[in-house]
Amino acid sequence: MTQHSASGTVFKAQKFTDFPSMKEALIARKIDATFMIAPLAMKLASDGVPVKICYLGHRDGSALVVGKDSPIRDFKDLAGKTVAIPSRFSNQNLLMQRMMKKNGMPIDSMVLKEVPPPEHPSALASKAVDAFIVGEPHPSKAELEGYGRVLYLMKDLWPEFISCVLVVREEVILQQRPLVQELVDGIAASGEWLDEDRETGAQHRKDAAFVVGNMFYSQKPELLEHVLTKPIDRVSYTNLMPPKETFDEIMDLAVETKVLPRRMEFAEYVDTSFAPDLLKVDVPFDRLPMPTEAQLAATKAASQPKPAEPAKK
Amino acid sequence: MSTWALVAAPLAVLLLLLARRLPEGASRWLLPAATGLVAVSLWQLWCDWKSYDLTGGDGKVRRIQVFPGPLDTLAGMVKLASDGQMLRHSVASLYRVAAGFGLACLVGVPLGLWAGWSTRAMQALNPLVQALRPISPIAWIPVAILWFGIKDASAIFLIFVASIFPVVTGTMTAVRAIPQVYVRSAQNFGVRGFELFRRVVFPAALPQILTSLRIALGIAWMVIVAAEMIAVDQGLGYQIMDARNANNYDLVTASMVFIGLIGIGLDAALRRFERLDEVRWGYSKQ
Repeated sequence: MTQHSASGTVFKAQKFTDFPSMKEALIARKIDATFMIAPLAMKLASDGVPVKICYLGHRDGSALVVGKDSPIRDFKDLAGKTVAIPSRFSNQNLLMQRMMKKNGMPIDSMVLKEVPPPEHPSALASKAVDAFIVGEPHPSKAELEGYGRVLYLMKDLWPEFISCVLVVREEVILQQRPLVQELVDGIAASGEWLDEDRETGAQHRKDAAFVVGNMFYSQKPELLEHVLTKPIDRVSYTNLMPPKETFDEIMDLAVETKVLPRRMEFAEYVDTSFAPDLLKVDVPFDRLPMPTEAQLAATKAASQPKPAEPAKK
Repeated sequence: MSTWALVAAPLAVLLLLLARRLPEGASRWLLPAATGLVAVSLWQLWCDWKSYDLTGGDGKVRRIQVFPGPLDTLAGMVKLASDGQMLRHSVASLYRVAAGFGLACLVGVPLGLWAGWSTRAMQALNPLVQALRPISPIAWIPVAILWFGIKDASAIFLIFVASIFPVVTGTMTAVRAIPQVYVRSAQNFGVRGFELFRRVVFPAALPQILTSLRIALGIAWMVIVAAEMIAVDQGLGYQIMDARNANNYDLVTASMVFIGLIGIGLDAALRRFERLDEVRWGYSKQ
């Protein structure tokens, strides 16, 4: 999984296109750590898969989106509507349950439909659903392509929303502690890097959108820049220590809505011992190395051929 | 380690080796049972081999199972069968397959007869059919959703797409394989046009057409899991997806076994047609 260099361990990133395959790779010990939606990680732990949540991936970074011309103006207008959620084992699902409760709406007052995240925008565009709630970049995509309107960002519904968490196999935690520590420190440091110039131009986030869009996700960098900067608190990458109170609340909601079969204690599925004190993390970061023209061309060539787009301007 | 698998597997292999000495009546049941036992034992052993021990921080050793074995699967099957889920999901899937496969036959058999009979029709039709045939139904999923939404119609369309091309190809080949001597003798007796088609060509091709329908029905049933990946909320394919999402891998394997069993049933049902007098002449071994 790793190779070592002078500046630390190089962790190999593996892209999956769906949660079930990723989960199976984790169960089969083909990957050692992963980011996944929090309740799914809790479900794995409750099913006896030896994994622990060690850190958070980010805060906020989801949105509740309705059709552009839809008459839906606030949460209560969603009564009787169909809302796409990424999975029943997602905090987006639990958030909807929490909001219904908060608004005094019965639990069956809207239809929550599990739809794979990449299909959320097209499901809304084709009016197969009236709204969707999912992680970025899908809300931004619906917004930029003109058929979606953000009804709420997470800061309006459940501030400091937890969506994805870092899950590590217990075997690795027990046997390779320093390695896990290095991984968590690296995630913490890169999160700090992404957030540190948020108020002053957010150049770090723009760089990240450019590099990641071109080199890793085959997503348009403009889309990712929108995700990361409009507004700037759409998603944040600091304050990622798993908080007990929030997880207890998630656990209660999950048990109450039968998403999880039984209540687990925080320590059964979370290991906060790696979460670093940000003031002490000292990983040298300046700017992400910009890809060279040759690297960009190579990545483009490797990705599937796409129809030529009309030149802009 | 499961000792039963270690004992059962060699016994079953021994039985298979002694196949020639078994009496005719017994071999019909014993041989498939022995093959099944070998497969199930290997499955169990594979499962054991993949499991591992994890020593926790407190020194306690836990045995971690990676995937469900045959016994977990059997328990899953009992659970699904006893709480009625199995019946509900099977009916939903069978309905979709009946609709999709039925439509494929209604459209595909006439097209195939036409293309088999007329060289011009074949020239016109065949390249398109052969180009569409290898496209996986999974690739059609986005198209299906955009055209038919996320209800039954999409799943039925996927089954239709998966089964129509084998039906057309099979029927066409069946007609083209009719010995010319049948056609010429009929023509000598003055049978022509539609009458020739109805009285000679169709009956002559029917045995092969039925065989191609059996293959197509197998494909249609196989596609059920892919077809029900679309956001439908019942059916065996849906159940596999749902159990997979929920970590209930024992229910995944249980549903797989049910799909296989129902597949055997469907094939057996279609084979009954082969015993009809109109068709039976085409099978030399029966």
